[in-house]
Amino acid sequence: MTTSPTPEGTPDVPAQVFEEFLQALGAAGASAELVARLRKTLLEDRTFSERALKEAVLAEEPLP
Amino acid sequence: MIRVESIAIREFRGIRDLTLDFKGKSFAICGPNGTGKSGVVDALEFVLTGNVSRLSGEGTGDISLKQHGPHVDRRNDPDKSRVTVKVTIPSLSKTVTIERNLKTPADAHVTPSDPAVLEVLRQVRAHPEIVLSRRELIKYVLATPGKRAEEVQALLHLDQVEQVRVGLQKIANNCDKQLIPLGTVVTQARENLLRALGVCELTKDNVLAAANAQRSILGLPAIADLTGSISLKDGMATPTPAKPQRIPKAQALADIRAAREALTEITSVTTTARVADVTADLTALANDPAVAAAVKREAFYATGMDLIEAGACPLCDKRWDLDGLKKHVQTKLDHLKEVSGRRIAAETKIAPLIAALRKAQAAINTVVGYAALAAPPVAIEAARDYSAHCGTAVERLAALLPLAETITVLTKIPIVPQAVLDAIGALEKTVAALPEPTKQDAAREWLTVAQERLEVWREAMREQKVAKEQAQRARHVSDIYATTSDKVLAGIYAAVEKDFASLYGFINRDDEDKFKAQLIPSMGKLGFDVDFYGRGLFPPGAYHSEGHQDGMGLCLYLALMRHLQGSGFTFAVLDDVLMSVDAGHRREVCTLLKGEFPNTQFIMTTHDPIWLRHMRTEGIIGGRVQFRNWSVDQGPTRWDARDVWTEIEDYRKENDVRAAAALLRHYLEYESAELCHRLRAPVEFRGDAQYQLGELLPAAIRRMRELYRHAKEAGNSWNQKEIVEQLAAREAKFVKLAATSNAEQWQVNVAVHYNSWDNLSKEDFAPVVNAFRDLLGGFTCSDCNDYLRVSPDRETPESVRCECGKTNINLRKKSA
Repeated sequence: MTTSPTPEGTPDVPAQVFEEFLQALGAAGASAELVARLRKTLLEDRTFSERALKEAVLAEEPLP
Repeated sequence: MIRVESIAIREFRGIRDLTLDFKGKSFAICGPNGTGKSGVVDALEFVLTGNVSRLSGEGTGDISLKQHGPHVDRRNDPDKSRVTVKVTIPSLSKTVTIERNLKTPADAHVTPSDPAVLEVLRQVRAHPEIVLSRRELIKYVLATPGKRAEEVQALLHLDQVEQVRVGLQKIANNCDKQLIPLGTVVTQARENLLRALGVCELTKDNVLAAANAQRSILGLPAIADLTGSISLKDGMATPTPAKPQRIPKAQALADIRAAREALTEITSVTTTARVADVTADLTALANDPAVAAAVKREAFYATGMDLIEAGACPLCDKRWDLDGLKKHVQTKLDHLKEVSGRRIAAETKIAPLIAALRKAQAAINTVVGYAALAAPPVAIEAARDYSAHCGTAVERLAALLPLAETITVLTKIPIVPQAVLDAIGALEKTVAALPEPTKQDAAREWLTVAQERLEVWREAMREQKVAKEQAQRARHVSDIYATTSDKVLAGIYAAVEKDFASLYGFINRDDEDKFKAQLIPSMGKLGFDVDFYGRGLFPPGAYHSEGHQDGMGLCLYLALMRHLQGSGFTFAVLDDVLMSVDAGHRREVCTLLKGEFPNTQFIMTTHDPIWLRHMRTEGIIGGRVQFRNWSVDQGPTRWDARDVWTEIEDYRKENDVRAAAALLRHYLEYESAELCHRLRAPVEFRGDAQYQLGELLPAAIRRMRELYRHAKEAGNSWNQKEIVEQLAAREAKFVKLAATSNAEQWQVNVAVHYNSWDNLSKEDFAPVVNAFRDLLGGFTCSDCNDYLRVSPDRETPESVRCECGKTNINLRKKSA
């Protein structure tokens, strides 16, 4: 297994876990919007509070 | 990431003013307990991370970095308490100075502070695990699987991974919890609708058939399809406001029957038995004071956890690091897991009682509404009060605590006051006595009530549908996250497990070279089993000794750090981590660190001078400092020759010969032990290793003279006359120094024994001091001033040499 290195050569394991999770979530049929919201929370904003996660997971989904 | 060149510590913890020059190499700090070693460790952690884990972690109570980080005499002057390090960043080929003070611990003054440097220092700050104490190390080995996972994850900076797992799981659980009351609302709305429609099964055809039958009475067209935008009342004239509202007789009677049924359920045998069961459980909990208190605490912490939002304690408003506070509360919750299990079991049993009470409350509220329409009005206060009582009881049961109050409420649940039944009976009689409405009025009432209840049911269904979708989504997300993170972590742990077994097998290769280990991650836990001499895999604390457990902790730490920091693992502070490891295995640890981690700078503390010697002999450390003692006023004092001789001279000048003599004796004892070790001098063995100066220094002198003799013999065997002459001169000089000190006479001449130094005048003591200073100089290399040593340190001696290599005296004779 390889971990994505930071500029210092230190692998960022949380980022790798989040990336693999988002890919698995997409492959399991989750909506693109849900994956995008979680990507923003976990990988861009790097906020992990329950409130932030709840907003990402439970936000109203667009109608099919 | 970094290597530390030097550190300057001012007014920090127990240190007044201390500078250590690591030269970017591994370094050892040795000294008895309480001499300030950990102060250096704290200073390193502080300057690199802005925190001192010993002052801010679990169990530190009222201690805080800002208040208790400064030296005790500078506690009101935190800006004077500062630490400065000079570090090199190998990846940038830069040298950087970092300074922090305790007034503004979060602000580091970095020079130069270009973005690349700041990014590296940010990463260092994000890895406080560079400092490892024995207390922390042993946690990884002996902790429960849940606690170990937490510790290892913190060590690996995987707490974010765990935080997300816990967060997603909590969201999913809360969504599931919300479905229960929503289900009750839907059921009640459905039952009310069925009663209004007068059908047994809620199907579109049944609703349309019933509604169209009523509509035909009013001459309204039949509704072909039941969609959200169509009302059962479409086309029906609105009643004129002046007309008093009528009680829909048939519907009211049906609703009164439903209320009676709900009250019957409350007083049923099933409910009574359920109440008895839950009451017994709660009484058992309440009768155990420890459990009752723990239930309270657990509920308090769980509520507190939900309220932590803005980095402040919800109770006292004290500012905390948000993640730190959550972790702190979560730790307390984890400790109360058993209590939590019993609480959840009780709540599960209480849930049907809450549903029955809600059902009765809703049914009574419906009939109470009819009473107000009756003329003359029917006295229904008892039913209204009972409805309120049901609401209060629901709140009490849902809150659970205090247990005593919940038990009191529980025992009253199966009792429905007769006044309630009487009031409902009176209302039923009044409604039954109402004149039958005309067919048209009845149809209008029917359609009005049916439409109202259809809308209520639809809204309840909509809310339930949204909640179900959210619950399914949240569970799906949580499950996939758990599976994915376990998979990724399993991969990491598999690699770490292999490396750990290899490292531990190396330091124990004398008897555990085939050592195996298992790290088993699962749902936020981390099982850890180790092989015990081929007899199977067991928890580390099961059969292995404390020393082996220390070794395991260190090897696990090294394996984890190597895997996760990769080439960035360039610096680590090991604070007395091998306390219980025996000398032989420490030697192996030295070999391991030197061979496996050649690019990592280790700063190591120990109270054991023998371990320090091992580190020096094995060449693992490039420098060392040995603390002698510590005082509040001065901080640590080191065994530094310059400091010691100055201090002795100061005492002597002040005519405190007693103190000067004591210090000289103590210092000579320390140095003599070092000399005996370096020269491999034979000393009568003592099991307690408590050697006295009279045993050590004469042995070192004898050994030095013996080595000169061997060296001369060797020189003669090689026919190296010039070298032999040089050796003879050195020997003569040394013999003279030894004779001046009288040290060799201690065994036979008590008059010159060091015990009599206390009685000398300051003038008489001066030559004694000079004699011993010169004598110690006789054991050193004239170039580097370091003590000479016999090489190798085991087996047949081959040479006497110094660290700089200038002195290299051959001891091997030419073969005959």
